Amino acid sequence: MENILSILVFFPAIAGLLGFVVDKDSARAYGITVAAIEFLLSIWLWFSFDTANAGMQFVELIPLIPDFGISYYLGVDGISLFIIIMATLMTLIGMMSMSITENIKNMIITLLFLEMTMVGVFVALDAIIFYLFWELSLVPMLYIIGAWGGPLRVYAAVKFFLYTFMGSLIMLVGMLFVAYVYHNLTGVWSFAITDWYALVLPVNYQLWLFAAFFLGFAIKVPMFPFHTWLPYAHGQAPTIGSVILAAVLLKMGTYGFVRFSLPMFPDASVLAITPIAAISIVMIIYTAMVAYAQKDMKQVIAYSSVSHMGIIMIGIFAMNAEGISGSVFQMLSHGIVSGALFMLVGVIYDRRHTKLMSEFGGLASVMPKYAVIFGIMLMSSVGLPLTIGFVGEFLVLIGFYEVSPVMTVLAGTSIIIGAIYMLSVYKQSFFGPVTNEANKSLKDLDRKETWSLVPLVLIVVWLGVYPKPVLAPIDNSVKAMLSFMNEKAITQEAKDMIKVSKTTLNRGEVK
Amino acid sequence: MLQPINVSLESLNLITLAPMLVAIAGGLIILILDLINEKLHKSLYVMLTILVLVIDFGATLGLNVNERGFFDVMLIDGISIVSQLLIIVASIIFTPLALTSKRFHEYSYPEFFALFLFMVAGFQFMVASDNLILIFVGLETASLSLYTLIALHNRSNSYEAAVKYFTMGALAAGFFAMGSAVIYALTGSVELYRVADVLAARMDETGLMIAIFGSSVLLLVAFAFKLSLFPFHTWAPDVYEGASAPLAGYMSVVPKVAAFVVSIRIFGMYIDLGVEWVRVVILVLAVLTMTLANLMALVQEDVKRMLAYSSISHAGFIIAALALDTTEGTTAIFFYYALFMFTNLGAFTMLWISRHKVRRFDARFDHPYEKFAGFIKIMPVGAVIMAIFMLSLAGVPPFSVFWGKIYVMQAAVNSGYVWLAIVMGLNSAIAAYYYLKLIVYMFLKDPVKDVDTVYYNLSKPLMAVIGMATIATIAAIFYVQPLVSYIYYMISASGY
Repeated sequence: MENILSILVFFPAIAGLLGFVVDKDSARAYGITVAAIEFLLSIWLWFSFDTANAGMQFVELIPLIPDFGISYYLGVDGISLFIIIMATLMTLIGMMSMSITENIKNMIITLLFLEMTMVGVFVALDAIIFYLFWELSLVPMLYIIGAWGGPLRVYAAVKFFLYTFMGSLIMLVGMLFVAYVYHNLTGVWSFAITDWYALVLPVNYQLWLFAAFFLGFAIKVPMFPFHTWLPYAHGQAPTIGSVILAAVLLKMGTYGFVRFSLPMFPDASVLAITPIAAISIVMIIYTAMVAYAQKDMKQVIAYSSVSHMGIIMIGIFAMNAEGISGSVFQMLSHGIVSGALFMLVGVIYDRRHTKLMSEFGGLASVMPKYAVIFGIMLMSSVGLPLTIGFVGEFLVLIGFYEVSPVMTVLAGTSIIIGAIYMLSVYKQSFFGPVTNEANKSLKDLDRKETWSLVPLVLIVVWLGVYPKPVLAPIDNSVKAMLSFMNEKAITQEAKDMIKVSKTTLNRGEVK
Repeated sequence: MLQPINVSLESLNLITLAPMLVAIAGGLIILILDLINEKLHKSLYVMLTILVLVIDFGATLGLNVNERGFFDVMLIDGISIVSQLLIIVASIIFTPLALTSKRFHEYSYPEFFALFLFMVAGFQFMVASDNLILIFVGLETASLSLYTLIALHNRSNSYEAAVKYFTMGALAAGFFAMGSAVIYALTGSVELYRVADVLAARMDETGLMIAIFGSSVLLLVAFAFKLSLFPFHTWAPDVYEGASAPLAGYMSVVPKVAAFVVSIRIFGMYIDLGVEWVRVVILVLAVLTMTLANLMALVQEDVKRMLAYSSISHAGFIIAALALDTTEGTTAIFFYYALFMFTNLGAFTMLWISRHKVRRFDARFDHPYEKFAGFIKIMPVGAVIMAIFMLSLAGVPPFSVFWGKIYVMQAAVNSGYVWLAIVMGLNSAIAAYYYLKLIVYMFLKDPVKDVDTVYYNLSKPLMAVIGMATIATIAAIFYVQPLVSYIYYMISASGY
């Protein structure tokens, strides 16, 4: 099908509109059905995807506002393909596991609109269309946090909105400037990313533009010191909000770096390696330590999320195939694992209405199934070999080792600190005797929860053991991007830093 | 010895006057109808007004670009056609707001509609001339009608608003007259194209620069009043608050479009002549206006006052485009207002349908934020629509004002004013807070009291207006291209 991407983007939105007439009691079944169809569509996209082709596929291009150079321009490559699948999967699973009963219909409709914006961001190849979905994604999230969240929900929701809105407006000015430069050089207006890729910008322009885009993406990631909105957002959001936020929305930031910053500003990116790596290391170590100090289970996972996003950032700026592919893979693994962890915290919160670790203890004996799944996800989060978390983290560290061994060692401490705080969570909550009366009669996972968590466990193990089907297409596109960045780079320093893998032509091969 | 004056009808080119004559004739017809039968219902007058405006619209569309007429005082260039069309469309969509389900005093007078049409004619004269005297006459015709329309609302704070507006308007008129007098004294002409020629020939005289300085300061002050630019904006929130919601919405668009046209003609001329500091002053006013009005809007407790400050801020945003003095910048002004018009119309209409005759929620304000608390539970569709208007005003894509914003910002970037685009971006971020505040009240808070009376004033015609505004706001992406190319064509055809 030619326009599968349009279908992927607009199917949930249209279904969301139709959802207004669906009865309240069947809203949930309706939402799950729609999300399942959307997920199957994305799987179909994967099967029709030509892994031999590293470029954009399923391209749709309709001029929308020719005078501005804005067109409806969609496409996917190996980098975005799996993020889309992860987004549709997590929406489906999030919806399946959702325990919200109040205003369920509004929630389902909001989630479907959110799904449209998420898929839209990852398929957009026109900067303005990208920006459109990017900004629009704030609105449903504002509503989810603000309407179903904890006691400070309004503050958290508004903070989330304004913080990210401000960053992206600066990014918009950057986009307008790139379009202006493009117009000056070619005489045509264009916001198409593929057109922009061809633009060779002087290094000082690159630096300014890099800074403008950086602000937009870094707040979304969220990079230290722009991360302060995140603990609030997670702390107050309902489970489904945290799942989507951690799994998908944060990835928009890192995806933005891969899609915009690196290929468009290769020289500036190379110059930014050290500062960004430094910030990322601060992010990794500092937030991991903060995570250890938390008393609330959800906050631990929220901060560990920031810490892991630091790993992804480091991998992106490794400027070689291992690092970037590893990062993209880590985006998927972080999406699945942190999403699952938030769902698991949600499970216990539904039962006890508290997330404080001091309230628990000895859960392993009361809820064995829950403890096993929690344990697997936790191990994956820490980066245990044979789980999905290991693959990405390992590749990132290998990749960055070529840039700076010292910094890699520092970044690698995340595994150690991660193990410390995660295992301490596990120890406090799951081991030992059951001290609290209220915990003695807790129900283990029910059918709904099991059905939503087990597939994630299977994916965690499957892709941990055999990542090739996912990693190969990613790697393919990343290598194409790197060789093109290398050609485009102006300074010799940048050319040296950007490592084009020799296996570029040897498709599907992963070291 | 005096010579008899020979005037041929062709040289008068009366067709250039046709649109205004239609409006004036329409006003007179309404007055005559009232003389014959006093008991006619307001709906008749509303429909007659719309009909007259539609004919007016047709007459304006039929004009040829770049013609002069009536002893060369009328100037029909691209700007004047585009702005007349904007003025008429805005008037057409604001008129049905009279058809509320509750009776509002002013709409029972046929004089209201007659005055309304005279006002439209006044604005049309104002934009269709480059003769300072005719501009002045048009401006005053329109303004005097508008003062009366506000006062007809018949509440103590409407009188206050009308008097305040009148006083400020009179002051601005004084400045305008003084500025024009200086120009006349300098050049011996009140026709801008001759003024420009004379000034261009004498630009290197030092004394002349001082006189130009004087005249442009006077004119800048006059138009800063009309456009409610900082620090001449203080009347605006009070006047908006006192006027009825439809008129407040109308005032945030139409008088400003007209004032912008005259500003483009006058200050564009100065900038073209190389009087660089005019540009600087306009830029400074623009930045101050958008920033300070935004900051003021943050602390408002009443939605209508918030919207008043927000439209001041939007005016500041737009006046920056004037300072760019490029075809794109000038296009941006009209393009922005064309998009802003529908969204703002929608927002003010939403206030209008929730308007009570007595203040139920607050002793001081008609539309405090609390009134909209939990709107989603009382009136879900209304809340979603209002939220869309707010997001549009905040510049969230794909809603209409976003496209205006990026066009303005792009125009700024293209002229090398990247800092200006960044200031605009930051201001949009500040503005997002107060628009968001209303959304937060509507969606995230619980209703306070009197939940059943929020859509007190709703009627079918109002629903139709809101529906139209909503469609125009959401579907902007599909009509932006034809709109912008039409405006761009018209503007560049008239040489701006």
